[in-house]
Amino acid sequence: MLKVENLVAGYGKVQVLHGLSINVEDGQLVTLIGSNGAGKTTTLRALSGMIAPESGSITLGGKEISGLASHRITRLGLAHSPEGRRVFSTLSVEDNLLLGAFPRVTGARPKGDVQADRNRMFDLFPRLSERRTQLAGTLSGGEQQMLAMARALMLQPQVLLLDEPSMGLSPRLVEEVFSIIRRLKDAKVTMLLVEQFAAAALDVADFGYVLENGRLSTSGPAAELKNDPAVRAAYLGTAH
Amino acid sequence: MQILLQLIASGISVGMIYGVIAFGYQLTFATSKTLNFGQGEALTLGALVGLTTINFLIGQAIATPWAYLLMLPIVLAFGLLQGAVVELLGVRQAIKTNSEAGWIMATIALGIIFRNLAENIWGRDALRFPSPLPEQALSFGGIRIQPMEIAIVVGALLLMLLVELFNRKSIYGKAVVATANDRDAAGLMGINTRIVITFSYALSSMSAAFAGVLVAPITLTGATMGAVLGLKAFAVAIIGGLSSGAGVVVGGLILGIAETLTGYYIESGYKDVPGLVLLLLVLSLKPSGLFGKPTIKKV
Ligand SMILES: Nc1ncnc2c1ncn2[C@@H]1O[C@H](COP(=O)(O)OP(=O)(O)O)[C@@H](O)[C@H]1O
Ligand SMILES: [Mg+2]
Repeated sequence: MLKVENLVAGYGKVQVLHGLSINVEDGQLVTLIGSNGAGKTTTLRALSGMIAPESGSITLGGKEISGLASHRITRLGLAHSPEGRRVFSTLSVEDNLLLGAFPRVTGARPKGDVQADRNRMFDLFPRLSERRTQLAGTLSGGEQQMLAMARALMLQPQVLLLDEPSMGLSPRLVEEVFSIIRRLKDAKVTMLLVEQFAAAALDVADFGYVLENGRLSTSGPAAELKNDPAVRAAYLGTAH
Repeated sequence: MQILLQLIASGISVGMIYGVIAFGYQLTFATSKTLNFGQGEALTLGALVGLTTINFLIGQAIATPWAYLLMLPIVLAFGLLQGAVVELLGVRQAIKTNSEAGWIMATIALGIIFRNLAENIWGRDALRFPSPLPEQALSFGGIRIQPMEIAIVVGALLLMLLVELFNRKSIYGKAVVATANDRDAAGLMGINTRIVITFSYALSSMSAAFAGVLVAPITLTGATMGAVLGLKAFAVAIIGGLSSGAGVVVGGLILGIAETLTGYYIESGYKDVPGLVLLLLVLSLKPSGLFGKPTIKKV
């Protein structure tokens, strides 16, 4: 579904990613783990067009998307819940969700039933339901994170990119977020999950990649990675 | 007391004109953090295009009030187009390359070009703009108000209300607000933020052009009419806060009234001073404007 080959990207003259290849199959939950500053966020930014890759190929459902503007990539069905949540703080929870479906409402993607999907989001994230008319800027960090995820899901995406949905959340909320990710996986939502909580991410994922200084050091089925001594030493020692 | 009320009444309509132009500054600032320093010239061109249009319509034996109403959509459409041209020619490249000075120079340069264009097409003399309403002032308990002054207030409020309604109710308006909130995140929603910015420039110039045809019947029309108005409205935008919608109305009224009061009680030669003093005060004491929220930079 999403295929990345030899991705090179960075910021201006600073090259951060030095040739990554990642594959996300239809219906799979793939995780990209790595320590702070490894280039996980940069990878997702390059995939969704927030930064233009220097070279390499990115295909979504067989279509080359590398170098396209982010709004075009979104319209092709790639949703990105970015690092830091980035919700629209002066708009209501409902409006944030509606904007997640912008390409559907404006005819760039099949419309379906936007209203019903919004209600489905309120079922999936009951905390948002209580706050539907509240401005997003007044939500707690955890609620904003859920809004960011729900907003991305409103696209009815072919692939969903999640950048550290657990960042800055209390342990109880982290648990809640991961249980939602599990439910999305059961619903066959194709996902690429970036996490620092490597253990939790490998628990839910089908397949994992380990990123180190802009290069992939290891990859494999999540269950195998969890038992890989090198991965355990570097990423699973402290977490959980 | 009578005189004071009279001065305030006169100040209100001028203030609303400042408010509308300042509102235009806010529109582009919200989405792109850039301003069109040719706003005054957008007003000039709007008024002059309006003048030619209304004179043509009156020449077709259409009564002046009707001619004025028919002229409005043409002027508004022209303003939209003119603003889009400014963004495409002067601003887009500067935003793309993150150039701080680029858009300042480009919008000033385009403003000068537009002024020259106006001088060459309409000449350098001030021209009379046909008034759609009786020029005879109405008396409210001795306070004399021209019907056109009331029309200015109503028209200005209506314009801002309609834009606000569009932003709140329509999906495209919400896309504009989203872009103003967080441009990158708006892009992730599938919103073409480059077009949103072009659109906000179009809307900004449209507001100025509308202000031009609102004010023209009570002043005179000419190639230089917008320069001072544009500058004062800039002061209003700073005083009211570039991010506060209601701030520009209050800021405009403060400046408009301060000017008429100064002109009467002190010396008409000093009419322009209070606005500038206020501007300097606000800049040094509360740079985000009287009603603006201080901008919090999130890392
Ligand atoms: N906007 C930016 N401009 C320049 N360098 C950046 C920017 N964002 C991140 N970097 C650099 O890119 C590298 C990878 O960062 P990032 O992708 O955010 O890592 P991760 O998400 O894995 O923590 C870091 O060295 C970081 O300093
Ligand atoms: Mg990151």
